[in-house]
Amino acid sequence: MPITASPAANAAPARLKVRKNINALNAQELTNLRRAIKESIGLKDKRSYEYFASWHGVPLGWCQHHNPLFLPWHRAYLYWLELALQSQVPGVTLPWWDTSTAAAIPGPYSVAQADGGDNILAKAPINVFGAAHQSGWPTETSRSPGEVRQSPTPPFAQEWANAMKADNFTDFSRLIWTLHDNVHVWVGGTMGQLDWAAFDPLFFAHHTNIDRAWRIWQSAHPGGTPPADILDQSMQTDPAMTVRAVLDVTRLGYEYAGTQSTVPGSA
Amino acid sequence: MQRWTSQALALSRNNWKRADLEFEGVEHDGASFVMHVFLNNPDADDTTPHTAEQRYAGYLTVFAHGDCWGDVGHCDIPEPVSAFDRRPPHSLIPFDATLEITEAISALPEDTSEFTVTVLAFNKHDDETGVLRFKELTLLTYE
Repeated sequence: MPITASPAANAAPARLKVRKNINALNAQELTNLRRAIKESIGLKDKRSYEYFASWHGVPLGWCQHHNPLFLPWHRAYLYWLELALQSQVPGVTLPWWDTSTAAAIPGPYSVAQADGGDNILAKAPINVFGAAHQSGWPTETSRSPGEVRQSPTPPFAQEWANAMKADNFTDFSRLIWTLHDNVHVWVGGTMGQLDWAAFDPLFFAHHTNIDRAWRIWQSAHPGGTPPADILDQSMQTDPAMTVRAVLDVTRLGYEYAGTQSTVPGSA
Repeated sequence: MQRWTSQALALSRNNWKRADLEFEGVEHDGASFVMHVFLNNPDADDTTPHTAEQRYAGYLTVFAHGDCWGDVGHCDIPEPVSAFDRRPPHSLIPFDATLEITEAISALPEDTSEFTVTVLAFNKHDDETGVLRFKELTLLTYE
């Protein structure tokens, strides 16, 4: 059954977009995802993937970590990027990489070739939006799993389970960022550096999973809102959003699904 | 690998149900790192097993910013320029990292009245200093 919600008081109910496990995407959905990112990377204006990548670290540095804005800010971030990708390829959604069960980087993000060319999900160019290239800046993404000795290795089932046991938002946020930081540090390379990480498309599969974790936890804890003093705080995105505006994913037009199977109707 | 051992922390055996170590004011302006924590094991090194017998208490990872890429002063944390300065906090403001150690601390001998914390901190450069930088360490117990 399609999931529907009312996006605004004066609008008709709309079907929500479904975010899926990366391993559940069919060939066409993977092609669409790669095409959306590739076409977005080719743009030189604020619709570009690199504009969005630039929000996180170099050069804008708007991201929030290790504080109560961590989950809300990244939900807003994914929301705006997903809309930009959908403007390139209608219907495309951000897939998640379930690092609570996966022991490696998923195939769609690691195979070197796809669609008859270089796989943009495996390696992407780094062109900092609105800034001339500086000496020492990377020009393309890289990964180096396990580059930090004795860094925890996936899957992070225990860390996921610990977070899900939290009975309040602050504890959940703190515990899920253990899993979050683990993944960044384990992947290494571009993903291991906060200021560059978002240039790697794998970043968004990782953060979609973190957002999914929050969504699952929220479903089990309906009253588990962030601290009252940040609910109306304006978060730096373009355009800005409040924390309150991102609490309900159905109001943002998406939901998470384990599986989806659709067949043509009778018309 | 950087090894750091704390001064002794006082341990009360009152009726607490949970114990946390709080690393306050952790700096995150360098390379990302992982820190493994041992209790009363100042000789722990990178060959020490992460086991209860070695009084291993757990780990924390810190996803950090990496080297400064901006102009001179970019990574300096500024003070507000006025009472009307409503700019968001600087992204490099240190944060507090919490490690729950209930199980590890409960496993210490009954007559333990104080204990030290040894941290082994690793980054991709395998630096021996400057990996973990923080202001102070606190043991918090909750009834």
